[in-house]
Amino acid sequence: MLDRRRFLVGLAAGAAGLLVSKGKLQAFPVPKSLKLGATDKSEKSEIHTMAVVKGANPELATRKAIELIGGMGSFVSKGDVVLVKPNIGWDRVPEQAANTNPVVVGTLVALALEAGAKKVVVADNPCNDARRTYVRSGIADAAKNAGAEVVYMEDRHYVKTNLNGEVIKDWLVYRGAIEADKIINVPIAKHHGLGGLTLAMKNLMGVTGGARNLMHQRLPESLVDLGAFFKPRLTVLDAVRILKANGPQGGSTQDVVELNTVAASADPVHIEAFGVTLFGKKVEDFPTVALAEKRGLGTGDFRSTGFIEVNLG
Amino acid sequence: MRNLRRLSQILFFLFFVYLFIQTEYKGRNELGLPVRLFLDFDPLTALSALLASHAARAIFLLSLITVGLTVFLGRFYCGWVCPLGAINTVLGYFRMRTLKPNHSEGRYPRLRPLKYYVLVFVLVSALFGWNAVGFVDPISLTIRSLAIGYNPAINKIARSVLEAGVAAHIPVVSPAIDALYTKMTGTVLSFNQPIFRQSLLIGLIFTAILALNALAPRFWCRYLCPLGALLGVIGWKQVGARVNNDKEKCISCRRCVVACQGDATPFPPGEWASRECLVCYNCREVCPVDAISITATARGTGDGNVDLGRRRLLASGVAALFVVPAVAAVVQRKRTDPSLIRPPGALPEEEFLRRCVKCGECMKVCLTNGLHPTLTEAGLEGLWTPILVPRLGYCEYNCNLCSQVCPTGAIRPVTVVEKQKIHIGLAFVDKNRCIPYAFGRNCIVCEEHCPTPKKAITFVEERAIDEKGASIILKKPVVSPELCIGCGICETKCPVIDRPAIYVTAVNESRSQENQLFL
Repeated sequence: MLDRRRFLVGLAAGAAGLLVSKGKLQAFPVPKSLKLGATDKSEKSEIHTMAVVKGANPELATRKAIELIGGMGSFVSKGDVVLVKPNIGWDRVPEQAANTNPVVVGTLVALALEAGAKKVVVADNPCNDARRTYVRSGIADAAKNAGAEVVYMEDRHYVKTNLNGEVIKDWLVYRGAIEADKIINVPIAKHHGLGGLTLAMKNLMGVTGGARNLMHQRLPESLVDLGAFFKPRLTVLDAVRILKANGPQGGSTQDVVELNTVAASADPVHIEAFGVTLFGKKVEDFPTVALAEKRGLGTGDFRSTGFIEVNLG
Repeated sequence: MRNLRRLSQILFFLFFVYLFIQTEYKGRNELGLPVRLFLDFDPLTALSALLASHAARAIFLLSLITVGLTVFLGRFYCGWVCPLGAINTVLGYFRMRTLKPNHSEGRYPRLRPLKYYVLVFVLVSALFGWNAVGFVDPISLTIRSLAIGYNPAINKIARSVLEAGVAAHIPVVSPAIDALYTKMTGTVLSFNQPIFRQSLLIGLIFTAILALNALAPRFWCRYLCPLGALLGVIGWKQVGARVNNDKEKCISCRRCVVACQGDATPFPPGEWASRECLVCYNCREVCPVDAISITATARGTGDGNVDLGRRRLLASGVAALFVVPAVAAVVQRKRTDPSLIRPPGALPEEEFLRRCVKCGECMKVCLTNGLHPTLTEAGLEGLWTPILVPRLGYCEYNCNLCSQVCPTGAIRPVTVVEKQKIHIGLAFVDKNRCIPYAFGRNCIVCEEHCPTPKKAITFVEERAIDEKGASIILKKPVVSPELCIGCGICETKCPVIDRPAIYVTAVNESRSQENQLFL
């Protein structure tokens, strides 16, 4: 529910977004008089553990979601090297909802830099040709424009690492994911033939190399192993467009549903469970959530405390 | 003029290398100017493709520019433009320096007709349907050899050096090398380390051709090159730049003979062989008494062109008449090789073979390094033509680069949308090896990667007990022959790492009426 106070905070966040972003933000007009006073930080807003923001403008929705869970400053420290890890897996355009929304990625990059990050790296180990996925997903451009270093994961960037997991032990891992001070995991919510859905944890497969296809054989366990090892500081779920069938790469816009939603939490299991609900499915049917809980990665019950849902319209 | 010629060779060679490097995906669906430009201006490729396929293509008209200039200037193309000629000039220079004016060493005048026999052989072969020109056309030869033979080695060497530099962990230096490496990747170096079947063989043949410079400077150009022969025949009048050795002035020092790039005997006076002359201007430059002039004149100034021997020319043609049916009488004609998966847009096999010049550009440009030269799959006539080897690389769903670079239309230009509808083969599940079928564990990597919007790979679900005794839903992959386009990504990504549990063969390919599976 939105009370007046929260609404004002929302406006403030939006206004802050307007002030710092270069984009066109007609979708969320703010009266001029509100702007200056609204950025005043003296009025402390309540900090939530999980925020779900609906809004036609993905940039504003992303900014709002981060704001509601305490602002990027609570996750990224000054001087940090941050790895923003979207899904750039497929040679598809944003309308096909196979990769993370480029605006969401760009916004997170900008937020991390605003929060004082020394460097923000955007990278993925895609399934299709990296050159094509980086370009066609729109992520390379969006991230570069926001100030990120967009890099390919080249062969020499993988190091054999002991993940010490239940099923994943020694594995080739993208060095940047280990060296980064913080990882911001930015998955897109999609249908997946084997896992049913691909959400937060599955996206972490993109910082591994080697014969990662083998992980499919014990998918939930493998994903939890990845979640436990990489411990992303922040997970932001892109549900601007979700892919409901023929995932994870889709191809037909008929399988795409526009939800215009962005969810953010420091708890990846919150996000994992929330993602399931987007598809009208039961969390109990997704063993990854229970396994992750058991491993102490977080809790699937994202609604119990500190949950907020905002509709920016 | 000699320095001008050298400059021209350098510039054309650099342009060639630039185009060669550009023949790779650079972030846009459309390539700029791929290296085929050199093939577009190659009259031998055009003539042979025309004879073999009986189809004139507008692009062939570009080669008429070369023909027109050749009528006027003789074999200026060999001396000033040809990239292989440039390489041979440099390598031949080392041999040339060792030659003495009074010895006949480093010259094989009797071999001069050889290239004309090669020319007649490939043209007659083409006339009877075998487009063999690509094996010996210098442009095709050079592109193929560099793309398939040399480029992988050059990349490997450069990468090894750079990697060693990075791995040395020297402060400041190693990070700088790392950054340089990243910069070079996809610009000077290929984006991925290229790996090709037969790269060693194709590279060695080219090396052998280059090594012939140890016998005589520009041995290939002088005695073997069929394009040189064709241009020699077209440009024998060479009215724009005829070499004249003034008998009165000549002191018989023979320096011009040694310096001649083409073994065109500017000495003795009156013996100059226009068909062999590469218009290199060396003779005029080295002449100590300015006896040699190169001028535009319609008058003949003596002609030392060797007699090609009518009988031998005829014999080369007749040889082709016997060889063409022989190479066509192979098992591959009786039954298609299952691994003969042609790139999307490839014409029906017969027509494809008539056009393909084995230049290797499609293989060079292939995004996934999935196109490789054939060895026996298409018979001898199809040697080094492109096939997709899905275990090594698949056909990227949204890419049509190979159809953009093909110089002869063997792979016809297809739009991406059109391409996505072309079946190049069909995937088969090997149930004896497929993990869910054979071992009762889930996998479904093939289904995940299947790129058609409505997936060509689906699965049947089955209750099963896993290795720990738990009840699971087992998903077993099934291929739809209607939807499968044979792109091969399932085979590339199949986790059964050695012999894949799902594989593509050419059957069901759209281009063939015979190679079909169903009624």
